[in-house]
Amino acid sequence: MAEEFSTEGMLDMYLFENEQLLEQLQEMVLEQKDAECFDEDSINEIFRTMHTIKGSSGIMMFDNITAISHKLEDVFYYLRESHPENVPHVDLVAHVLRVEDFISNEMEKIRGGDSPDGDPGEIIADLDRFLEQLKSGGEEKGAEPPPENVYVAPKQFYIAPVATSASRFYKIYIHFFPETEMANVHAYKAVYALKEVAEDLLYSPEDIISDAESAAAILKDGFRILLQAQCSEEEVRKIIGVGYDIEKVDVFECRAEEFLQGFDFGENDDLLQIDLDSSVEDIEARIEDASAEESVQPAKSKPAKPAIAPGDFVIKSREPGKQKKLAKDKPKGEKASFIGVNVSKMDQLMELIGELVISESVVLQNPDLKVPGLNLDNFNKAAAQLSKISTDLQNVIMSMRMVPLTNTFQKMNRIVFDVSRKLGKDIEFVMVGEQTEVDKNIIEHISDPLMHLVRNAVDHGIETNEERIESGKPDKGKVTLSARTEAGKVWISVEDNGQGLDRNKILEKARKQGLLEEGKPDSSYSDKEVYQFITYPGFSTNEQITEYSGRGVGMDVVVQNIQAIGGTLDIESTPGFGSIMSLKIPLTLAIIDGIVMETGNSSFVMETGMIKEFVRVKEDMMIHEPDGEEYIMIRGECYPVLRLGRWYGLTQYQESVEDGVMLILEVEDKRVCLLVDKLIGEQEIVVKPIPSYIKKVKGLSGCTQLGDGSIALILDAGGLIE
Amino acid sequence: MSEMSELKRQEEAASNEHDTQKGKYMTFKSGNEYFGLEIQYVNEIIQFQTITAIPETEDYIKGLINLRGKVIPVVDVRLRFKQEPFEYNDRTCIIVINVKSMMVGLIVEKIAEVVEIKEENILPPPNIGRADKSHHKYVYGIGKVGNAVKLLLDPDKLLNDDDLSVMEQANDMILEEE
Repeated sequence: MAEEFSTEGMLDMYLFENEQLLEQLQEMVLEQKDAECFDEDSINEIFRTMHTIKGSSGIMMFDNITAISHKLEDVFYYLRESHPENVPHVDLVAHVLRVEDFISNEMEKIRGGDSPDGDPGEIIADLDRFLEQLKSGGEEKGAEPPPENVYVAPKQFYIAPVATSASRFYKIYIHFFPETEMANVHAYKAVYALKEVAEDLLYSPEDIISDAESAAAILKDGFRILLQAQCSEEEVRKIIGVGYDIEKVDVFECRAEEFLQGFDFGENDDLLQIDLDSSVEDIEARIEDASAEESVQPAKSKPAKPAIAPGDFVIKSREPGKQKKLAKDKPKGEKASFIGVNVSKMDQLMELIGELVISESVVLQNPDLKVPGLNLDNFNKAAAQLSKISTDLQNVIMSMRMVPLTNTFQKMNRIVFDVSRKLGKDIEFVMVGEQTEVDKNIIEHISDPLMHLVRNAVDHGIETNEERIESGKPDKGKVTLSARTEAGKVWISVEDNGQGLDRNKILEKARKQGLLEEGKPDSSYSDKEVYQFITYPGFSTNEQITEYSGRGVGMDVVVQNIQAIGGTLDIESTPGFGSIMSLKIPLTLAIIDGIVMETGNSSFVMETGMIKEFVRVKEDMMIHEPDGEEYIMIRGECYPVLRLGRWYGLTQYQESVEDGVMLILEVEDKRVCLLVDKLIGEQEIVVKPIPSYIKKVKGLSGCTQLGDGSIALILDAGGLIE
Repeated sequence: MSEMSELKRQEEAASNEHDTQKGKYMTFKSGNEYFGLEIQYVNEIIQFQTITAIPETEDYIKGLINLRGKVIPVVDVRLRFKQEPFEYNDRTCIIVINVKSMMVGLIVEKIAEVVEIKEENILPPPNIGRADKSHHKYVYGIGKVGNAVKLLLDPDKLLNDDDLSVMEQANDMILEEE
């Protein structure tokens, strides 16, 4: 960014693209975090992702991002090329996520206009160590990393590879039938087949592909191969096989020293060392390493750390058996094509469509049309068509705002992974229904509360491994995050099979904090009431404050956030078997089903779901207290009464309860009767915020436009009940 | 005309537009006074329309109107100036102003005209006596147009100036204690 030229546009693009890449990366990594290892596709994908990020960061001159992505790319390069076994998969996942976090964090800085100044040194060092560890782990299995970042050593002398213990060496002589045409091609076939298993391979004559003369030599002297591999003699024979062309195959197992000597017959110059994958530098480096080993090795403790022993550069090829394990067959769904759209444009579109709908009703219900004697047949036909299109249009724009919960759930997956690892708990995380779609605005609001619930489940809910074994539970804890749509609401629940909530502990704590009523026996509190206590501010039963939870801020904030979007939190728990935290939230904030009503000269809207019933009441059902409070008895139950007109100081409202309509509202078990003048009807309404210039009024959550263009205020039942 | 000069002409036009707005004031009558608002704040002038009242707000905030799908609050300027309320009729207008990307409608008795007031004709408000000060908090200057004067309004203060009087009171109290 030190450059003069403007990188603004590029920067946006850079951030956008990399953000998406990282998102995909995280999703993929978490998807396979419980697998034994990454499948081949993922390894390639991660490699490519890092490569892309490295490239673009390089262009933008964000050196730290470039460095760290380069390092991770190295690791995956190694994984891709060498297929080491015994990869500590969980560590690998953690490393990838750490790098991802680092880059996300830096990108956040860039977005905020700061320069990315994070120091990737520590992570890079860790990755280096990890790579070393991988390589050493690989060596024990006879695998060889093609070192990528090798220094180019001066060429000293040529030496054949040093064997690893598991490798075996073979001298192979192949004799072709004398009448075989193009024996060199047949010889190549054999070489090609052996490459599948070969760790190292030499053959003579050397130039069997381009040199036609070699055919004669092969026929005359036979074709000689030196092979280093981990397979048995029979397997080698099988690979080459005696066919219509090969007369005889001799396979002799030999010692490494003999192998190193190469062909003890013929001119040594003819030898060709085949390096299946490595580049020239690699070979040179090996030579250097190998020579270093020869000279220095005795001084080093080789058995203790065979890991870094140089010279172990046999090439591990892809064994057929291994591939099976790597490539898990994953049915790939057809990829939908997406484009990124600026959110403000979406909002604008939404607004415009809102205007369109209103001007439509202005046209269609225009008073000019009410003139008697007009023939409106054609107009009505056209009007019907117009209404249909605008309804479709509305539906489409609404569906564009709907986003699946997948990303949010993935984040939770990440949290479970991090926290359970840190706490040393074995936890299985299950996601159900992550495809459930929710309005974009809602998603923004539920992410934090959900994170908190999931963290609580892992930290407090699930016991430690030891405790689980003691109580005879399956040793793996299980956290289930599920989502479903029901009755116009989204239900999201976090379920764990841990210890459940401790009723007595909560009661004790509640007493300490003075939340219990004096003289009320503990047993008279229902479980639900007791569990409600944990949502009080400053309430935490966890004596110890851990890194993740226990600070007593939390559940109350969760509940607040959920209520802010018109949702509720439900707590269920069975001691010893776990707890379920269920969130019930509206599908969308933008459009709600509402009842339009009138009081005084004002129109109000109340969300349909909040209204339990409408009743017409008689004056004699009212109970008046001397202090002005009013109650009403309906079917033997007593409700407090709220007169909307009086509450808001309106004019010209119905004074008599018999002329108005009572609405029984219910929010979280609290009920109130609201008196309004009259009901207008039910309709879908587009929620708009009340302009910020006007201070927040209790009981109002927004406003909306009615069909005639007038504005109605949206009542918030929760606010009214308070 | 070449492309270059066309571009240049457009640029000039754009800067001219800005220049032509400078020093121009939308004036309106409220009570017996004429007030002026810098024209760059004025979005448009609309006819009076139905206002949805909002309960529990200051009396000068009359409520919300629907401006082509946008919900904007409206303020009665006379009430804001603590003058006597007046009857709205169909000649009453609403000036829609845009201050710090917030749109607000101002109900005024009568729109006068757009006048140009040169900078040298703008005087700071006379500051006689503490008691009178609160009256001038939204007036930042007095513009002379011929023989008449217009009170020039600071729209930001006009809308958001509730705290000022409180602060003044606080200051007064501190002074008294001293």
